[in-house]
Amino acid sequence: MLRYIGQRFLQFLLIIFIANSLTFLLPRLISGDPIQEAMQVKAAAAGNQNFDIQAWVKTYTERFGLNQPLWRQYLNYWWDLVHLDFGFSLFDYPATVISEIKAAIPWTIGFMSVAIVLAFVVGTALGALLAWPNSPRFIQALVPVLMVISAIPFYLFGLALIWIFAVELRVLPPGGAYDPTLILRPDWKTALNIFQHAILPASALVLFGVGSWALGMRATMVNILGEDYITFAQAKGLPERSIFLRYGVRNALLPQITGLAISFGLILGSGVIIEAIFSYPGIGSLVFRAINAKDYFVINGTVAIMVLTAASALLIVDLIYPLIDPRIRFSK
Amino acid sequence: MAAVRRGWLHDTRITPNLIVGLILLISILLISLFGPILVNPKMAHVAAVGPNLPPSSENWFGTDSQGRDVFTTLIIAIPSTLRVGLVAGVISVAIGLVLGLLAGFFGGLPDAVIRVFSDVLIAVPSLAFMILVVSRMNRPNITLVAAIVGFLTWSGTARGIRSQVLTIRERSYTLVAHANGEGGLEVLFREVMPNLLPLIMASFIGSVTAGIFTVMSLEVLGLGNNVIPTLGMMIFWSQRFSAVLRSMWWWWSPPIVAIASIFIGLFLVSSGLDRFVNPNIPVSAARQRSRGPSKKAVTAPAAERTATATGQGTGILEVKNLQVVYQTPRGEVKAVDDVSFSLQPGERMGLIGESGSGKTTMATALMRLSRPPAYITGGQILLEGQDLLNISNEALRRLRLKEIALMPQAAMNSLNPVARVGPQIKEAFQVHLNIQSQQELDQRVAAVLKKVGLRPEVANRFPHQLSGGMKQRVAMAIAICLSPKVIIADEPTSALDVVVQKQVMLTLSRLQQELNAAVVLIGHDMGLIAQFADSIGVLYAGKLVERGPVNDVLDNPLHPYTRLLIDSLPDLADKRELFGIPGLPPELLQLPPGCPFHTRCPAAMARCKQEIPVIQSPAPGRQVACHLYPQYDRLPDIETAASKMMAAAFAGQEG
Repeated sequence: MLRYIGQRFLQFLLIIFIANSLTFLLPRLISGDPIQEAMQVKAAAAGNQNFDIQAWVKTYTERFGLNQPLWRQYLNYWWDLVHLDFGFSLFDYPATVISEIKAAIPWTIGFMSVAIVLAFVVGTALGALLAWPNSPRFIQALVPVLMVISAIPFYLFGLALIWIFAVELRVLPPGGAYDPTLILRPDWKTALNIFQHAILPASALVLFGVGSWALGMRATMVNILGEDYITFAQAKGLPERSIFLRYGVRNALLPQITGLAISFGLILGSGVIIEAIFSYPGIGSLVFRAINAKDYFVINGTVAIMVLTAASALLIVDLIYPLIDPRIRFSK
Repeated sequence: MAAVRRGWLHDTRITPNLIVGLILLISILLISLFGPILVNPKMAHVAAVGPNLPPSSENWFGTDSQGRDVFTTLIIAIPSTLRVGLVAGVISVAIGLVLGLLAGFFGGLPDAVIRVFSDVLIAVPSLAFMILVVSRMNRPNITLVAAIVGFLTWSGTARGIRSQVLTIRERSYTLVAHANGEGGLEVLFREVMPNLLPLIMASFIGSVTAGIFTVMSLEVLGLGNNVIPTLGMMIFWSQRFSAVLRSMWWWWSPPIVAIASIFIGLFLVSSGLDRFVNPNIPVSAARQRSRGPSKKAVTAPAAERTATATGQGTGILEVKNLQVVYQTPRGEVKAVDDVSFSLQPGERMGLIGESGSGKTTMATALMRLSRPPAYITGGQILLEGQDLLNISNEALRRLRLKEIALMPQAAMNSLNPVARVGPQIKEAFQVHLNIQSQQELDQRVAAVLKKVGLRPEVANRFPHQLSGGMKQRVAMAIAICLSPKVIIADEPTSALDVVVQKQVMLTLSRLQQELNAAVVLIGHDMGLIAQFADSIGVLYAGKLVERGPVNDVLDNPLHPYTRLLIDSLPDLADKRELFGIPGLPPELLQLPPGCPFHTRCPAAMARCKQEIPVIQSPAPGRQVACHLYPQYDRLPDIETAASKMMAAAFAGQEG
């Protein structure tokens, strides 16, 4: 058991090392000068007057340590990473990257968590139901519908939902996390407003999520229902429902929960496009804005955070799994 | 009586999913091949009429904010997007194939290294990485981007291919043994390719999907290339100009419909290919119901049959003309063909057969546990006079375990892995005897565990914490806990080593005596069964070919197959050369005409090749299905010309 934990932790460290090294290396391999480009964007935004861009570039390059030898930069990079110091945002200077990330993360985690959990619960229940051999026909008819839904990228739903509810019917706001005119206070009015704004983006996610969770659960259930212990349970004369729940679903939940944990790990990355479409002020929007502004420090920082979250989630999954699967917890 | 073979159209692996998906994809491919030829590509770049115009006869899908014709743009965008998918798919599969083959064939260090890399790749959120990389490119070359996506997504393919290679390597030794002189490599190649092909296709489709999805996501975020329109870029630009908010549905919905169609097509084909990759996938619930006969009302056309069971009166278990059929992709197979026998209370019957003789099918069928693609298509199973094949599910459920119990084959997999042993035994008491008191349940569980020779602490363990023998005993405990009248023991010791086998058989023997239960012991080990059983039944190719009291059958086997089985048992006293039965069990899809055994039978006559022998009783208590015994009502003496003929035939054998 201890060995298992040790192994997984080493794997975690390895992943962090390799992924972050790539994050350091790849951008530098591809293009030359982030400062130059960012300055050009700024100059263009300011009307391209007679700016001595080169002087600016030189100053900032020195300040950000980009003129040092590569190995030095690499070491600095790791030092900063461990301190979660991603430097300054190029576009919103003097705001630091980490402060922007901190402001954005709660929004993303907030509505994505709710969406993921909802999609998981509904989807898994639906999937289990679909796998029941005696379920009524009309439920089975849902399967092709779910297949269609889960095949389509979810942000396309987002666009359709905006159109239907925000433009045509005008019942829900088309974007943002809360009314721009609203002052955020911890009261019901604020909460309701936030909820209202979160419905559409969350729905797009939930719609898609239900489809893919349901299909996944159904596939797992169908495989499990073919196992020997199901046959033996039937031979014991146990009632159908008992077998289905205690022998079927209970065993199928293991891989499902693993999938849920991994979903949570990828929570920051999955929301990028949805937030871009809905102008939801989370990490995704941050990345989106940074892409357009060529704010590489923000991009680097957010990607590093995403990698960290994903790898941590995998580690947590590996650590939690023994708790729910007795086969690993009590291995000889 | 040969199995029905159907053409490829009836191959059950081809599902409606696959067909719809293929139609969708082929249509899109046609559009992307011929569309760009039929439109004027300039219209996608140059403003023709005014901007933001709704659909008209001139602009079928209206114009966008720059005045460009949306329809033309769409037609040009579709092939660009498909090309992206193609590049990503090809590269991903190429890398995955090479690395998977390397990892599978060489194992050791290359395998470990590749595995570490693929684990790392899975952990990395690929979209994030792509954003990182592509945002640095000024005019991203879409093909290059697609290639990079291919680089990031080979892990899945590699994993699948590696496990296939490993499976085939394990099997290759048996393959080579059967190969009759073919080179090992040749056989490997012949076996490897057909198995890998659907896997490669499925991986390819998966990679294409991932490629299109990732590149499209990048484009929607603004990381695309403006020069060539793609579906993702169309969506991006429409968002940029707030097409949704301005209700310019003609601009933002066509690319969405196009993308959705592509993905749905890919998804359907991919799930359709699943069936080819893994032919053991159980059919979906709905399809299970639509095919095959209903489980409930199965009556025996007793009048037509000439071979009726010739047991003595009514036993506690009477099987009459049982028929179980398997629906395979290549046709229908009779796994149990017109089998009848009778079991008296307290009688121990051994049912012997080789692999493929139908004995496991029989075991599950006896309790109506057959699962698709196996269907019970005829006969009766009378338990104390009640036909198990003709009662409701609920009534059957109540009988199971209480009156007739199953002792499963591989108890490794027969116990619920996530529940402790105790609750699994308690269930039996709770459900059938309605005992709710935890105290009483605990007592009963401890008592029954003691009966099979296990300590009460075992109840607190999980199945995987027990050894094979212990698990088998737990299964026995469950089987006897309600004192059933009939026990079906399906090869209870086949997965155990010899020492444990004996212990388990002794326990079974003792339990049977205590309960005075009738036991059907199914297996392939003649020696084991002969020691345990009172009477023996011999199965071959789904038919019962001999039946009789154990000592009579051992001393004087009537059927040539039985004789060969007995003769092949090694004898410690008489040290002679070991021999088996020459030839292989018949391929049930291609049964030879006449008696299924005639190809291996030393006493085969001309009649055996044409006529199927019918089971009949040449002596009291004995039944046999063989042309050596003509259809007389009764033979005066067991020492007949037939036995002489057989003895002569076998004399030639034992050298």
